[in-house]
Amino acid sequence: MKKRLALILASAMLVSSALCSLTACSGGGSNAKGHVYYLNFKPEQDQAWQDLAAAYTEETGVQVDVLTAAQGTYETTLASEIAKTDAPTLFQINGPVGFANWKDYCYDMTDAAVTKELTSDAFTVKDGGKIYGVAYVVETYGIICNTKLLQQAGHSLDEITNFETFKAVVEDIQANKAKNGFAAFTSAGMDSSSNWRFQTHLANLPIYYEYKADGIGKTDAIKGTYLDNYRAIWDLYINNATCDPGVLSTKTNDDAVAEFVNEQAVFYQNGTWAYGDVSAVGDENLQMIPIYIGAEGEENQGLCTGTENFWCVNSQAAEEDIQATLDFLEWVATSDKGTDALANAMNFVSPFKKAKEASNLFVKQDAAYTAAGKTPVDWCFATMPSEAWKDDVGSALTAYAAKQNDTSWEAVKTAFVDGWAKEVAKSKA
Amino acid sequence: MEKIMKKNPLYFCLFLLPTLLAFMIGFVVPFGMGIYLSFCKFNTMNDAKWVGINNYLQIFQGDETFTHAFWFTALFAVISTVAINVIAFLVAVALTRNFGGTNLFRTIFFMPNLLGGVLLGTIWKILINGLLLSMKQTLTTNGTYGFIGLLIVMIWQQVGYMMIIYVAGLQGVPDDLKEAARIDGANDKEILFQITIPLVMPSISMCTFLTLTNGFKLFDQNLTLTGGEPMHQSEMLALNIYSTFYDRVGWKGVGQAKAVLFFLLVGLIAIIQLKITQSKEAD
Amino acid sequence: MESTKKFKSADEIKIKRHVSDYIFTIVFTIICAFWVYPLIMVLINSFKDKTHITTNPFNLPNAESSVQWQNYDQAVNTKMDFMSALWNSLTITVLSVALILLCTSMAAYFVVRVKAWYTTVFYYLCLFSMIVPFQMIMFPLSKVTDTLQLNTPTVIPFVYLGFGAGTAMFMFSNFLKSLPLEIEEAAMIDGCGPIKTFFSIVLPIMKPTVISVGILETMWIWNDYLLPYLVLRIRYFKTVPIVIQYFQGSYGRVEWGAIMASMVITITPIVILYLFLQRYIIKGVLSGAVKG
Repeated sequence: MKKRLALILASAMLVSSALCSLTACSGGGSNAKGHVYYLNFKPEQDQAWQDLAAAYTEETGVQVDVLTAAQGTYETTLASEIAKTDAPTLFQINGPVGFANWKDYCYDMTDAAVTKELTSDAFTVKDGGKIYGVAYVVETYGIICNTKLLQQAGHSLDEITNFETFKAVVEDIQANKAKNGFAAFTSAGMDSSSNWRFQTHLANLPIYYEYKADGIGKTDAIKGTYLDNYRAIWDLYINNATCDPGVLSTKTNDDAVAEFVNEQAVFYQNGTWAYGDVSAVGDENLQMIPIYIGAEGEENQGLCTGTENFWCVNSQAAEEDIQATLDFLEWVATSDKGTDALANAMNFVSPFKKAKEASNLFVKQDAAYTAAGKTPVDWCFATMPSEAWKDDVGSALTAYAAKQNDTSWEAVKTAFVDGWAKEVAKSKA
Repeated sequence: MEKIMKKNPLYFCLFLLPTLLAFMIGFVVPFGMGIYLSFCKFNTMNDAKWVGINNYLQIFQGDETFTHAFWFTALFAVISTVAINVIAFLVAVALTRNFGGTNLFRTIFFMPNLLGGVLLGTIWKILINGLLLSMKQTLTTNGTYGFIGLLIVMIWQQVGYMMIIYVAGLQGVPDDLKEAARIDGANDKEILFQITIPLVMPSISMCTFLTLTNGFKLFDQNLTLTGGEPMHQSEMLALNIYSTFYDRVGWKGVGQAKAVLFFLLVGLIAIIQLKITQSKEAD
Repeated sequence: MESTKKFKSADEIKIKRHVSDYIFTIVFTIICAFWVYPLIMVLINSFKDKTHITTNPFNLPNAESSVQWQNYDQAVNTKMDFMSALWNSLTITVLSVALILLCTSMAAYFVVRVKAWYTTVFYYLCLFSMIVPFQMIMFPLSKVTDTLQLNTPTVIPFVYLGFGAGTAMFMFSNFLKSLPLEIEEAAMIDGCGPIKTFFSIVLPIMKPTVISVGILETMWIWNDYLLPYLVLRIRYFKTVPIVIQYFQGSYGRVEWGAIMASMVITITPIVILYLFLQRYIIKGVLSGAVKG
């Protein structure tokens, strides 16, 4: 009996060791040099990151893998990937809320070389005096306008100074849709490739004004003071567009880009990252304008500028991988190839000292607004309590678009206000 | 034979061990861990902290999506079971008659089974959205469309499968029995209800069980067709568990607790099925 | 009088049946046309531009919407690398099914022939595993396989062997239980050991069951989405369902054109294979359905 047991155990060990040796080859990557695994958030820049990673590997011999999460699945992908032995060594969080979720994995970057390259302390995520996240891109969004079409419709940008005047222009363009051959807005698609433009970026404005009115920077209980304004601008978007408001959930960001580039619409809400998509319209015909929602003092409002992209290094990765990752980040922020890729291949404005000037038209327009004394709108959406909150607001917006009445707007309100409190409670549970 | 194989451990290692080992790794260990983890709060498992039945309480207190998903799933399972089996049975009855092309028709009906849930969901998403477009609506306009959409997908997929089983059952009904009944003056309807159906009862109960379980466990099609939109209105249990796991940081324990409940539910259905089959066999 | 009437009515029935047969054929032709339509639609749309796919999936490609082979080119030649996904799916399916067939048939033989507490426990655990939904073990399984590095197409078959053992064990055991011992005993007298007996006598007799199990496992593994998605190192290895899901929303866009083309590339060989192996597939389904 004993002998049999011993034999069984021995053979079990044999099989498992055989398995181990069989799989050893797939373990890979963990040599003395360490390796980098970047879980990239921005699908638009996937190719640029892949190229940059290849260039770095060629230069230093350090392996850099880049995986881009599908739009709207970053948190999901991160959650499943980080639990693996071969976890990302470099990932990103969107600010304090993201930090609260992932703080167990955030390496203390206070003394990292890349942190020292930042132009300002403001571009970090801090906790207890230590720096855990480093912003790598500052972005701007607003309403991208095709000025050529605007002119054809008999209007000019000078008319647009606040929500009322903007609304008048939009509705006039839409009224003459048949005659002009174009609508006011591109489709406000609520497919996951596009819904963030509204459930996150557009929703930023009522939050921004509420914070401003209350003199706060974040909250556990949003009041929804400016929700009527949110409704007004959403109404404007969906009822003066290329498509019927009932079919928004199938419309993708691609559709909106196509409509804009094919001159089917004058306005398209998006940011600096979309420059590459719309540049075919021609720099002379493109102007990004502020998103007015009818708040007091908005004549002085600029574009929405900020960041929700902070690099974090996985503190639970192997020592040599952490070092390799920090080295890679330093190289990206300082080397010629790295800064060039950030500025030109990715069209980023990076908050690094050695950053090259981006060739991005919208970045220049943003600078012009600031120079003219306009106040940029902060990115408050980093304080939104969770991804689930955004998705719920987005779903409610879609439902409202299909059935525009007060009842369905109540659902948006509920998702916005009650949902906020609920999500805060859940994240603290 | 038994003696030789029992005596020499070589045979144990050769015949049983590989499967046993894989079964341990692929099922027993994860299953045990799953039960344990449902009582823990954890993110990656290395950080699991025992929290007792907290996760189970959370399901019913902090999360209204689970109960909705439960009723949605239960309703779907029942309706799809009825619809699929009625259609499949009728098709099978028709296709066991002798007319031109029955073999070709069976082939075609079965075809959708070859595609996986992801492909099925994707294909029908395009189709149904294309149809709804003319009404200026989409699949995710409301939960009802999602429900009907899923129903269509499952009918398309499973009717062929169940039909195959019914055809085999129907072919087992002896012709002379039906002839005899006809001579005794029974009409088609009486033959169907009093002879055919009772004789294919084993097939019926098997198909019912299969479709019911498939309905409850549905995941891929749900994920690709609607993704649970809008606002979890078309979210079924499996998808609800999945999103609790991976969409919300710090909720993995709750997700695991939901999974345990889900397992108990599916297990319960299986036991009921087993009891019914056994009592039938005893008759 | 009585007999002539009977004769006449039988004749009438015959004619009636003849007519109704035609009606049945026609009706079913129409139904089946609808039944295959979704697949035809995929084929048609694979030649259309992606914006035309969503706005009007029912139209044939015309001068404006046609992109000829561009979608195929995109599916095969982009960074999504659909062809390597196809290869991964193929590797995983073939290796897993081969491993499952070999290992579980042997294990079932052992379990049926050797009566011991551990074989009984194992057998019932296998039955039990059949009713456990994947979500129950999804997270722990992904952790275990990750720790053991069972995360590439060449080793993931081991995971499939573990999770898929239940059904296969059940079907093989069922068959073996009904197999008379006499044949094996005769082989023993001829001097065959258990290994030779199994491979030269038992396995050949089991061939129909082997085929059925093979068909069922193939249909499951080829189409499986969640297990490989959670277990594989997805930045290196994707399978067909993963890529098709990935096309929807990765890289900031929904590549409907590429999706349609990849589906055509995936479905065509399966349908062809099905037309040839139909008999076996249907048999497999039938014997699989006997479980429950």
